[in-house]
Amino acid sequence: MKQKADVQQGTLALMVLKTLDVLGPLHGYGIARRIEQISGDLLSVNQGTLYPLLLKLEQEGSIASEWGASENNRRARFYRLTRDGRKQLQTETREWEQTTTIVGRFFAVKAEDLS
Amino acid sequence: MRPIRRFVRRVGNLIFRRHDEQRLREEIEEHITQQTADNLRAGVTYVEARRRALLKFGAAEAIKESYRAERGMPLIESVVQDLGFAVRMLVKSPGFAAVAILTLALGIGANTAIFSVIDAVMLRPLPVEQGEKLLLFTWSARHDPNLRGQSSYGDCDDKETQCSFSVPFFQSTREKANLFSNLAAFAGPFDINFRCNAPAEIGRGEFVSGDFFSTVGLKTIIGRPLGPSDDSPTAPPAIVLNYGYWQREFGPGRSAIGQTVRLNNVEAEIVGVADPRYASLTPGKTQDFFMPLSLSKRVRSEWWGDADRLADPAIWWVVLVGKLAPSISLEQAQSALSTMFESRVLSGPRPIFGSSDAPSVKLLPARQGLNGESSYIAPMLKLIMAAVVFVLIIACVNIAGLMLARATKRQKEMAMRQVLGAGRGRLARQLLTESLVLSLAGAALGIGIAIWGAGGIAKLISSGFGEPFPFVIAPDWRVTAFIACVALAAGILAGLAPAFRGPRADLTFSLRETASSVPGGAQGRRRLRLSDSLVVAQVALSIVVLAGAGLLVRSLHKLQMLDPGFDTRNILLFSLNPTIAGYKDDQTMQLYRQLQQRFAALPGVISATYSENALLSGDWSASDVHLDGAPPKSNVNPATLTVGLDFFSTMRIPLLAGRAFVAADFASAHAARLVLEAAEAKSTTPGDSAKSKEAPAPQVAPVPVLINRAFARAYFPHQDPVGKHIGHGQHDDDPKGPLPGYRIVGMVGDTKYNNLRREIKPTMYLPLVENSANFELRTVGDPNALVQTVRGIVTETDSGLPVFHVRTQAEQIDQILFQERLMSSLSSFFALLALALACIGLYGLLSYEVARRTRELGIRMALGADKRHLMRMVLRQGLLLALLGSVIGIGAAFGVTHLMASLLYEVRPDDPATFAFVCFLLLLVAAAACLIPARRATRVEPIEALRTE
Repeated sequence: MKQKADVQQGTLALMVLKTLDVLGPLHGYGIARRIEQISGDLLSVNQGTLYPLLLKLEQEGSIASEWGASENNRRARFYRLTRDGRKQLQTETREWEQTTTIVGRFFAVKAEDLS
Repeated sequence: MRPIRRFVRRVGNLIFRRHDEQRLREEIEEHITQQTADNLRAGVTYVEARRRALLKFGAAEAIKESYRAERGMPLIESVVQDLGFAVRMLVKSPGFAAVAILTLALGIGANTAIFSVIDAVMLRPLPVEQGEKLLLFTWSARHDPNLRGQSSYGDCDDKETQCSFSVPFFQSTREKANLFSNLAAFAGPFDINFRCNAPAEIGRGEFVSGDFFSTVGLKTIIGRPLGPSDDSPTAPPAIVLNYGYWQREFGPGRSAIGQTVRLNNVEAEIVGVADPRYASLTPGKTQDFFMPLSLSKRVRSEWWGDADRLADPAIWWVVLVGKLAPSISLEQAQSALSTMFESRVLSGPRPIFGSSDAPSVKLLPARQGLNGESSYIAPMLKLIMAAVVFVLIIACVNIAGLMLARATKRQKEMAMRQVLGAGRGRLARQLLTESLVLSLAGAALGIGIAIWGAGGIAKLISSGFGEPFPFVIAPDWRVTAFIACVALAAGILAGLAPAFRGPRADLTFSLRETASSVPGGAQGRRRLRLSDSLVVAQVALSIVVLAGAGLLVRSLHKLQMLDPGFDTRNILLFSLNPTIAGYKDDQTMQLYRQLQQRFAALPGVISATYSENALLSGDWSASDVHLDGAPPKSNVNPATLTVGLDFFSTMRIPLLAGRAFVAADFASAHAARLVLEAAEAKSTTPGDSAKSKEAPAPQVAPVPVLINRAFARAYFPHQDPVGKHIGHGQHDDDPKGPLPGYRIVGMVGDTKYNNLRREIKPTMYLPLVENSANFELRTVGDPNALVQTVRGIVTETDSGLPVFHVRTQAEQIDQILFQERLMSSLSSFFALLALALACIGLYGLLSYEVARRTRELGIRMALGADKRHLMRMVLRQGLLLALLGSVIGIGAAFGVTHLMASLLYEVRPDDPATFAFVCFLLLLVAAAACLIPARRATRVEPIEALRTE
């Protein structure tokens, strides 16, 4: 079994929001599963941080939750993105892209570029 | 925005105790089920699939924990938990809780009561708009100024800085410089003969300049304030009443506006009533009404003579306050003012200072400078505050000792908590929470004690002053902050020792069943020493407070036992002021003589007399005289008292030589006064001094005087003073004219004059032929029974003449000893409280010791130890601690009591008798406190003690 990386601090929230944005309402297990899937099973979502994070996002108003029926007709808690959450996702996406651009430039830099 | 929303939700969850435990559990269950289902699809058995799902999920309990932390606020939750536990613990031992809470309530309550009085007297801001911007003019110089008159009315402390100025200086400051946007002068209050409809009475009127109301921001609730137009000498006289006076004199709701009143026989109209929120600029002073400064030309104080107080630059009597103009800085104003002041006082036709006197003027914030009244009570309050702080510390140490003993009892509980994973910090926090709960409960109860206590102290102080307490005691933010700080500090102080000692325990040792009664051991020893030192500290602190109180009580006792030189029993005192009621000197004398005869004839009155000042009333006079044969201008300054006929026989002051005054002496003194006044009038008229030489001054006999023994001893040692002549004081600018001087006709015994503390000064008694007077009636029975009769006689004689300041001589003495009485009673009260607390601490420690050593005592008894021996053992331990505390306390007291030397009278701050008595008292009470646990030790039943193991 290949060693999986843990999700980097602070990026899990972004992944959760994006996942909900793309896939619509999901329950906790679904979110974790999807994130791992999207990452090509390179990531392992720590459940210990996932549920408190969901609660935090909910308390902040970025997501909302309600009981619903899961695929196999069991009672499950579904999370969905709120309007605030969508806005937050947009800003955070922008910021993240900016950061990666900057970091990317640093990786691309060669000595002759700076002379 | 988002963090705020999250915070609100968390607080909401905390308050409404929303747990949602069920939801989390369901979610976890669902998660694992789905994971298991996924795993099953990979083709493993159900058990394996479930196992893998659980493994992948991780520690569910830890997740729940962090989920809960996210949902609520764990710190607050644990604090609430601690609080709940602390309250339950205290409810479980109500005896301990009651003692601890009551002790702390007494300590905190006493501190708060005294602090709220201090707050009212010393810390309140000025009762005016933008009071912080108001500046006060003060001056200081190395020597006294050369003035024709100087008055102060208790606005400044007058020790280092003084704040009276002349009216011309006020006017030129206001006119010349654009330094101040507002500038006002005021002076007083003065005793004014105030006559409305009813019989006249004495009212206290303050002279204020026209801009006073606008400068101070004082408004009227009815009518108009005084304004600049009232400053004009031709303006119709107008006054504004103080709110309280208006209520008292005119009744609520009744308008007084437009009424005409007579102030010292000058008609004035009431034009307004001042805002009730305003008491006085100087904290603690009061006035009944405000009069325009211009009126001081006609409504005069009896002491002013003929001088023109509005125009004379050498009479300093008004206090100046102002607000700076917006563009002017304090430094600019200060330097401009200094230049003006110095040029005025150093030069001119009559320089007031020499350049070596270094006169300087300084602007101070008004609140800081106007401290006259409070400077009188402040040292007293500070002393009492120190005493109650000591009491509070003792209370805290006491609680610390009790909690320490409890912590030892609760060792097993603490060990159990540690075993279950509580950190030491967590345990300390819990113990601190318990002591804070105690101190908060104490503070809550203490507030009640404080309200009651502050009211009581105000009542005590005002009964001493003989007038309502002039400061407003009301809780404000300072008092509230004080209580909070004190409660917090007390809680921490009391909880500190157990919090740091408590959790440190050897776990296995503590958890063993027998741990509670195992004697000794390294741990036990160390804890014991800490609680011992707590008791020693309490004893030492209480010795300091006891010693201070003891010294004050002894001072008071010495003052009360003092023989003032006259018979103080059964004398009725009251004041009359015919001068401001419009009487001239001759009429005054006639009036006094007439009243004296009528009073003396009253049944129940042995004799009646009058004098310029009542003895032991704080008032006194002195005057420069020149002894015959002394070098020119080397004057001496004896105290003087002008008295009426029969003064010495009424007061029962023994006549030692010569004779007392007779009626002829008064005629002679009156004649001399007329001649002197005529001469003075001539010399002050310029150009007349040459003429006065031509007309020879009429010859006049010296004024007959009596002296006291101190006078004879100081100035006529080993001679018979009777018949000797004394000259008038010699000065540079003496008027030329007749100088009859004084002739001694008799000598009387020494008496204390203005107060009991002051040494008896050489004193000269003169016949009273002018001014206001204080009557003294020697009665057979209770002097107060005569008050109505006396008032009736005076009103019958002249309804425009108020009788005021009625009291007995004994009440008068109580009044001047009021500060000493208050200090000694309050400090003794707190000292006894401190003693009681320290002894409760000692008792608690020994009781605990005896209980802890039950098994040891039982074994000793089983082995044949004598009961008395065991009792002595316990007693010795207690008394040794008390003795050690006493020794340390005495050492500390020596360091502290010299700070209060100025408050003592004929008692040294290290008075051995007081210290010995204090130690004796403490050891006695300590022995009593030790006796109960000691007896308990002897009652230990060996069988019982061993069986409990």
